[in-house]
Parts: sequence; C-alpha cells; structure tokens
Amino acid sequence: MLGGLFFVPMLGLLGVGIAVYRRNPQRFLDGPTEDAPLRLMRWAVGLLSPQRVEWGQAMLCELGHLGGRIRRMRFALGCVVAALVLPPWGRAAAGVWAVIVLAAGAVGLYGGIAARYRLGGGDWIAAAILTVFVIGVLLGASALVRRPGVAIPGLLGGLFVTVTFLTLSGFTFLDQILPNTVPWHRLVQVIVVPFVVGAAGTLWSRDPIVGKRIARLAAMTGSLGLFVYTSVAVAAIGGGGPFDEDGGGTLRGTISDRLGNNLVLLAFTTLVFATIGWGGAAAAGRLLHRTPTPTVPGPISPNSETQQEA
Amino acid sequence: MQRNRPPSPQTISVLRALAADPARWRYGYELAAEVHLQSGSLYPILVRLADRGLLDTSWEPGQGSRPPRHLYRLSRTGREFVAALTAARVDRTTLNPHNRWSEA
Repeated sequence: MLGGLFFVPMLGLLGVGIAVYRRNPQRFLDGPTEDAPLRLMRWAVGLLSPQRVEWGQAMLCELGHLGGRIRRMRFALGCVVAALVLPPWGRAAAGVWAVIVLAAGAVGLYGGIAARYRLGGGDWIAAAILTVFVIGVLLGASALVRRPGVAIPGLLGGLFVTVTFLTLSGFTFLDQILPNTVPWHRLVQVIVVPFVVGAAGTLWSRDPIVGKRIARLAAMTGSLGLFVYTSVAVAAIGGGGPFDEDGGGTLRGTISDRLGNNLVLLAFTTLVFATIGWGGAAAAGRLLHRTPTPTVPGPISPNSETQQEA
Repeated sequence: MQRNRPPSPQTISVLRALAADPARWRYGYELAAEVHLQSGSLYPILVRLADRGLLDTSWEPGQGSRPPRHLYRLSRTGREFVAALTAARVDRTTLNPHNRWSEA
C-alpha cells in the first residue's frame, strides 16, 4: 500500500520535470550569460515590492560583476533572503511567506505527531512523501505568486475554500476525525467552491489565464490549510474518539491511520480543487469572450469623412 | 512610524567601513567582503540606512557588456550620525574603562 503511495508522487514529479524540460530545454543548459544564480536572482527580484525595485536592480547588476559559480551562487542566495525579509513586503513575498508558514506547519505537525507517538517506519516514509509534495507545492506557489494579480486573490481564494470546507464539515477537532456530512456537502466542498473561485478569478481579472493561476494557488493554499487544520485536530485529540478499526484498534494504529487519511485528503483536494478551479476559470473565460466588448467611438478627424467617401 | 532602535553591530560595521573614506563611492560586494557580511545581511542594512537618509546612492554607468553598478557612500547626515555614535562610545568607554565591547 505504502509502496504504491510512494510510487505515485515520484511518477508525478517525473512527469512535471519532463513537461518543464519539454517546454524549454535551454533553461537547464547554463550559458555564459544565463546561469542558475542569475535566474535565481531574477526570481528573487520579482518578490520585491514596487518601492524596492531599484534595490532589486542594484543586486542584479552587482551579480553581473561577480565571477566564479560558487561566489555568484552565494551572492544570489543571500539576495533571495534579502528579498524575502526586506520591508515593505511585496505581495509576492507575502504570498511566499504565507505558503512557507503553511508548508512548515504541515511537515512540522506530521513529524511532531509521528515522533510523539513513536510511529513506525511506514509513517516516516509517508512523512518523506509529504515533504516532497509540500516542497513541490511551495515551488509551484512561489512561481504563481510572482505573476501580476495572482498573489492576493489566490490566497483569499484558498482561505475561502478552507473556511467553506470547514463550515460544512464542522469546525471542531472531532468533526475532522468523524465528519458528519451529507452528500451535498461534499458536492459544494469539492466541486462548487473551487469552481466559483476559478470563475471569480477570471471575472475579477478579466483574463482566464490569470483566473487559472488564481485557482491553482487557491487549490494549493486551501489544501495545505485544511491539512494543517486536520493535523492540529489529530495532535489535539490524539487517540480520542473511537479507535480506528483500520489501524488495528490500537492507539498508534489509530493515529497512523488518521495521519494517513489527512495525507490522502491533501493529495486529493490539491488535485481536485486545482482541476475544478481550472475548469471554472476556463468556463468564465468562454463567457467573457462571448460577451461583446462595447466599442467607444474615437474622435472624428476632419479628414475621416473625406477618406471614407474616397 | 519610524523606530529609533540602536544600530546593530553589523550596521555599525557597515557605517564604520563607509566612514573610513566618506567621499569614496563603494560597491555592494566590495563592502560585503570588507565587513564579512553576506549579501542577505548587507542589502537590508543598506536599504535601512538609505531610508533614514544616512546613505547616498548612485549608479555607475555600465561599460561594454557589463551592467551598471550601484554605488554607496555616507551622506552628510550619515557622517554626522557616525561622528555622534563614535563620540557616545568614547564617552561610555571613558566612564567605564572595563566596558570595551565596542572595540570587540
């Protein structure tokens, strides 16, 4: 069972790597003018707020005068830290910090619970899978938040997804262990809300591409938020409630099973929220393109009538 | 609201390095190497000093394929600040000769 679980994310990562490589093979070949430190630095400069753009350019230009791969990389890594801590935070930096907090919370809680209850090797393999997954989410989200008009709507969308999910399944910790939902709750949680977030993103930005990015960011942050909340529930309740039959009816088995359920929920919600949200954004985009844009008549020049007549 | 916290030891190192030759424009990496700070520590310090008006900044035009370069030196306010800082430390050391932490 766990072997299969390990196999799926590895295949997923491999697929993502192949897709990125096929998109632009040159990005992996460092040329004399475009190396990894320069790309990293450009990414970091994009995190800065508009007031700090000149400082971003200063760091970027300084890198252009440095030689030696290690020296350049050390300088670029330092500038990434500077871009993340420099106040005032740009929206992108605020977004990255929000995802870092969620990601660290997710991995920290999982590892903390596994250590506290002295869970077995299988749970530590699951923790490794979670770490890989969360790093992937972090990288994906950090690319999305740098796109204009995505960070704040995406984070708000993620918050909306999380709060709606919890409102329907119940906010108490026991509700996370034993959700008392009816089928239409699941429909709203998994289909309607992500669809609405994607569609709202497109309608707000008037651009389906931005709407799809907002939907993806909302899916990542919403799923991570839910995972953190359900993990907090496991940490707070521990073996409380009925022991899980799947876990062999023991305390460790019950905790392990609850953590495993959360992990599956994280993978499931991330995938489904992103897919449905993408669909919502695309559908709203079709609607936008069908709506005729009102044309504003331009100023009539004295020659225009003469030209038309000619 | 601007906070008036005392400068950190790293900030004092940067101020001292700049005050050693106040008229000279300095490069970021050169300054970082001189005060043994990583770029992640140096640039936030430079930004804060510039925000408080203690630092003048300028751009050196690029030459050939080389990009332009940002330059830094103490402003008049910055030089006065460093002078006041040094005087305050001299006073403290005179009052308490055993407290020589500033020279550490």
